[in-house]
Amino acid sequence: MPKPIRQRIADEMTGAALPFVAFCIALNLTAGQVTAALKIPLYLDSIGTILVAVLVGPWSAIICGTAANLLAAAFGNPSMIFFIPVVIVIGAFTGFLARKGWFRKWYLVVIGGILQGVLAALVSAPISAYVFGGVMMAGTDFLVLYFRSVGNTLLDSVIFQGLASDPADKVVSYLIVFFLTKNLPQRLLSRLRGATNVR
Amino acid sequence: MRANLDLSSKLALVFLLWVCAFTLSWTFQFVLCLLLVIARFVLPAFRPISQRSAAAFSKFILYSISVAVLVVCLNALFIKSGSMIATLLGFSFYEDGLLFGLRTASRLILLSFSILMFFISTSLPVLIGYLQNKGLPPYLVLMLLLTLHFLDHLPSRIHQIFLAQQARGAPVDAGVFSRTKALLSILSPLVLSSIVESIERGTALELRGFLSKPSPERQPEQVETRVNPLTVCLYFISIVIIAYSIYRWLNI
Repeated sequence: MPKPIRQRIADEMTGAALPFVAFCIALNLTAGQVTAALKIPLYLDSIGTILVAVLVGPWSAIICGTAANLLAAAFGNPSMIFFIPVVIVIGAFTGFLARKGWFRKWYLVVIGGILQGVLAALVSAPISAYVFGGVMMAGTDFLVLYFRSVGNTLLDSVIFQGLASDPADKVVSYLIVFFLTKNLPQRLLSRLRGATNVR
Repeated sequence: MRANLDLSSKLALVFLLWVCAFTLSWTFQFVLCLLLVIARFVLPAFRPISQRSAAAFSKFILYSISVAVLVVCLNALFIKSGSMIATLLGFSFYEDGLLFGLRTASRLILLSFSILMFFISTSLPVLIGYLQNKGLPPYLVLMLLLTLHFLDHLPSRIHQIFLAQQARGAPVDAGVFSRTKALLSILSPLVLSSIVESIERGTALELRGFLSKPSPERQPEQVETRVNPLTVCLYFISIVIIAYSIYRWLNI
């Protein structure tokens, strides 16, 4: 009989995992500060979720992403609440790839990042189109308007915009997580459940 | 007033506003937005919990007004269907795009205002306490509290590492590729130190028996919960609006 979800989450949240997930939630919310300081045109707002998915597990990653979006809403970005399904998909899919050993080889990480970007674009498109009319109060809104002005439907325009920006962001996020985990000493890595996912 | 409008009622109100954002016309939605802004100043239950929250809300009002104007104008300009309503500086604005822009802007603002109103008037420790009373597992409560601790310390730690790497000659001002590589030199010590800290905290928690299973003799603390009539009323109105919208949709 499969374990209940509550039990699976509790199983993952042991020892160092609990404070580490808390750190990754905070990292999701503050990664923008690093990219802004370095003037890099990337969001990297799911880097903490990906780290948790690889080093702890998919259930903790789902919790991490959900909590990060709720807190982002609390700190002045209310639309993030509606994108909780997207972070659930990111956490679950990355956790699945990590368990299959995709975070051991860099080329698998790149392919995984592209797949994740496409998946994230497809999941976020209906939310962005039907809840917000394609407007996310970001620079990418101009891309949506451009695709609409050339005759595409709203949903298609949002999907095209997502496909144009999400895969690049996710590939960079995946590669950063890959190099971060590669550089971690085995002594520290072994204290987390997902150590075998990366070595 | 703050006592009358408990967290359950506030959540029910947010739900009602979400229902309104998807069912009512854009004119009603703009009226509701206006009422929310008035409520923030008039009703004590919606007063911001801190100066910072008040400033965030004021900033968001100004930001959302500018975004709403931009959304309406750009949609009226780019979606070239329906009759032309105006021409300004050689740019033509169309009716369908204008209506779509108004609908989108009003929904966006109402959804954002309702969520923000809830969070600016509710402190996170109070919200976490409420969730714990509603059955959120203790380890998740601790995780949220630890997140608040990390959120307090992380920006200064990032700044410190950034300055240190800059002093060591990391290419923080070079091309995009070099800057992306510099990102790793900032994130690596950050993640490394966080794992060290997590192991220490995790060990401390385990030594205190926090993550162990509770003994069968120990009964969980029972919290008395009374259903607030206002909460019921707000949910009832939401259900009526949803039912009416479905009825209208089926009859079109």
